[in-house]
Amino acid sequence: MSKLLIDVGSTYFKISSKNGVKQAFRDFSKNIYDDLTVKFGDEIKEYPKEDVYICSSANGGLSTLIVGLTNSFSLKYAKNIAFNSGINIIDTILYHNIESSPIPGELLDVVIIVGGIDSVGGVFEEKLLRYLQKLNYNNIVYVGSKLDAPFLKENIDNLVVLENIISDKLKVNENELKEYLTNLYQQDIVGKEDIKHLYELTSNQIYSTPYIVNRSLPFIDAKFEVVNPFIVIDIGGATTDIHYSRDLVRDNILTESEFDRLVFKKLGVYKSRESLIYAAKNNEFVYELLNYLDVTENILEESSEKALKVLMLLSIFLVLCKVSKHNPLYVTLKLDVLKSLVLTGGITKVLTNEEVLSIVHFFYKKIMNMSTIPTIVMDVNYDIWTLGMTK
Amino acid sequence: MKKVVTGVVGNDIHVVANRLIDISLQARGFEVFNLGVNTYLEEFIDAVVETNADILLISSLNGEAEGWCRDLQFLRSEYELKDVVFVIGGNLAVGEARNEDIVPKYQSYGFDLVFHQIDLNTGLDTLEKFVNQKRGE
Repeated sequence: MSKLLIDVGSTYFKISSKNGVKQAFRDFSKNIYDDLTVKFGDEIKEYPKEDVYICSSANGGLSTLIVGLTNSFSLKYAKNIAFNSGINIIDTILYHNIESSPIPGELLDVVIIVGGIDSVGGVFEEKLLRYLQKLNYNNIVYVGSKLDAPFLKENIDNLVVLENIISDKLKVNENELKEYLTNLYQQDIVGKEDIKHLYELTSNQIYSTPYIVNRSLPFIDAKFEVVNPFIVIDIGGATTDIHYSRDLVRDNILTESEFDRLVFKKLGVYKSRESLIYAAKNNEFVYELLNYLDVTENILEESSEKALKVLMLLSIFLVLCKVSKHNPLYVTLKLDVLKSLVLTGGITKVLTNEEVLSIVHFFYKKIMNMSTIPTIVMDVNYDIWTLGMTK
Repeated sequence: MKKVVTGVVGNDIHVVANRLIDISLQARGFEVFNLGVNTYLEEFIDAVVETNADILLISSLNGEAEGWCRDLQFLRSEYELKDVVFVIGGNLAVGEARNEDIVPKYQSYGFDLVFHQIDLNTGLDTLEKFVNQKRGE
């Protein structure tokens, strides 16, 4: 391989070079650059800057608030584009409820406003401006009806106006917003003290890891033993991402994107360990699950290898619960027609295929009332990430 | 040009009828937003809001529209869609049903025009007359 690929996660580094894939636990007492160069200095030295490609999820991503006209089109399209660009969504506001909607207390990286096809005017009024005045944000972008753009441009400082994400046939038009958000993410990475030094190692743009994974998805079923429809679960130290084929979503809205992504910000096994345990304890099936795994809840307080395995198994179970009919708050995936479940990330280095099979069996039996389960594929060598980086 | 949002409601997948309605509406000069089969009522309403449509034309062939359309009044008032014409047509009951029972039932759900087992062109003629009449008022 003539390229050196580096992924900087919140917990692990991994690199892919001509010698294969290696990973190392991060040392949080050092900054990212020093830690990376100490651990993989020899490999890095072998490659010129133009052959080094880096992606990162370590900066936590950008936060966004979306104001949209309807749930089925504006908000849905904007949410999909944001997730697929590596953005974390803080909240969504339905425009006609804006006057009674809560104001997020935190500083937002970007506010997205969307609504109406281009031929519709007069969608947004003064009440939007009054709401925006109460918000604290760094960037604001409008991707709705062309006819409303002049009014909003005149009244909102630093408003970026891009192409409407809703086409004249109500299809999603993601290109400009996706590019804008991806660039914003890059600027954020460059701006982050810890990440910007990494540009001393590469002359290429540093991308967000979820963006890289998403990019490889259309090629997965041709490259690996994966059958569509499939989901990819990436359980990390801070967040858990689930990438899914759109065939698994029950809607008939036409989009161009074949895959979507959902992020569970507080389901990770290291940095978000406490919130993972909290979520687990609030799940009605967890004690039965612990019993099934032949452990007690005390394991959750331990910091042994066994405890880590249990946490990872719990993450798989909780994520599947959250996207099943059992939990209508999130996107509901048709898990009964799922053909392959792909696991990637650090989890593949800790859990065995049998352990994953066992937890998926438990989930399908308990929640789905089914005895057949999808094929489990463990992306042990981070092939999905490598594919995304090299595409 | 009048805008029409159309599609087949609920768990109904009669796509051929849906295509015929789309083509017929276009031939009559309407701008059509076809949501296709398997569409929820909320999606229809949202499409009307996003496109500022004049007409919502829901079709159903499997007879199960009743269960999917009961919330129309509620959704209609939520978005204040008082100028939109709401139309439903197709086969609107499972098994035998009389037109004089079906029509008032769907009207009570909030539909302005109800076509139960009526020929497509007859229904669209009536719709055009209704829209022109409304325009004249």
